[in-house]
Amino acid sequence: MFWGFAAFAALMAALCYGVLGTEAFNSAVARDLQMITDLLPRIAAAQVVAGLAWFMLPRDRLSRMLKKTGGRRGLAMATVAGIITPGGPMAAFPFTVIIANAGADRGVLVAYLASWALLGMQRIIVWDLPFMGAEFSTLRFLISLPMPIVAGMIARRLPFSVSLEKITSGESLRQ
Amino acid sequence: MSCFAISRRDGSFHLGLLYAVEQFIKIAPRMVVALIAASFMVKLVPTDIIGRFLGDNSGFTGIFIGSVAGLIVPAGPVISFAIAAALAAQGASVPALVAFITAWSLFSAHRIMLFEIPLLGPAFVRMRMLSVMLLPVLAGTLALIINEVLSRTRL
Repeated sequence: MFWGFAAFAALMAALCYGVLGTEAFNSAVARDLQMITDLLPRIAAAQVVAGLAWFMLPRDRLSRMLKKTGGRRGLAMATVAGIITPGGPMAAFPFTVIIANAGADRGVLVAYLASWALLGMQRIIVWDLPFMGAEFSTLRFLISLPMPIVAGMIARRLPFSVSLEKITSGESLRQ
Repeated sequence: MSCFAISRRDGSFHLGLLYAVEQFIKIAPRMVVALIAASFMVKLVPTDIIGRFLGDNSGFTGIFIGSVAGLIVPAGPVISFAIAAALAAQGASVPALVAFITAWSLFSAHRIMLFEIPLLGPAFVRMRMLSVMLLPVLAGTLALIINEVLSRTRL
């Protein structure tokens, strides 16, 4: 998987060099390096947050709560959680890892991420409303309300098995 | 929210405000530039193309194109919403815009992919992509239906 990515990257680099010349290539490399130095600390931080929270959270309560997440009720809970998740990806993704490790099934995970992406209050207040106006935003919000549940239902019906690596150990968690 | 923060009396109101102002100062110039750039970009595409492919009469084509566009735009919310706003100003239909924003939010071809794969693994991301693939078109279609219903009842 990694080598596939690496090969693709090398191919793109070669293409860029060949088609656009040295200067474009150098500027692209510079920008890439900048992007990487920008992102790596953030990804590391997200991992740290997930790790810390995993150890700090009361695991039994979480597991008990999550045991009730079978069926559509769980998807609805995930949707609500996604709406109220404060902050951006730095909050949502570590939380996803946490509930995954605590036993949430793939439907709940997909529904949660979809809800955060489409209905996250913070996103709507900061971006939707100013750019698109109240009427459009309300319409989109209402339309998007059932979407996370639909996505969760689809996710549960997908045939192949998916494994999610545990952050605390290297094992895979079959979903 | 401000009242709640003030009532906490532990400085969270001040901190929150400071943080918000800080973020705004960081983002505002980018937003302005992005809006200008997006407007220019959208102006470059002749209005009749936007009208034909994304406008009110485009129906499903508009929804589909909006979805694909949202999928492939590798940019953050500043640029993406600027594009959406510019498209709206140039006559794109509501269903197409709904599809566009839905697709962009769910896929976020950019940093979120870079976030997601390291944190959750490519297998999970692939599954999420598949689960979510239909949603932009579905959302756009719902918007279309709602629009139709609304316009019929108004008449």
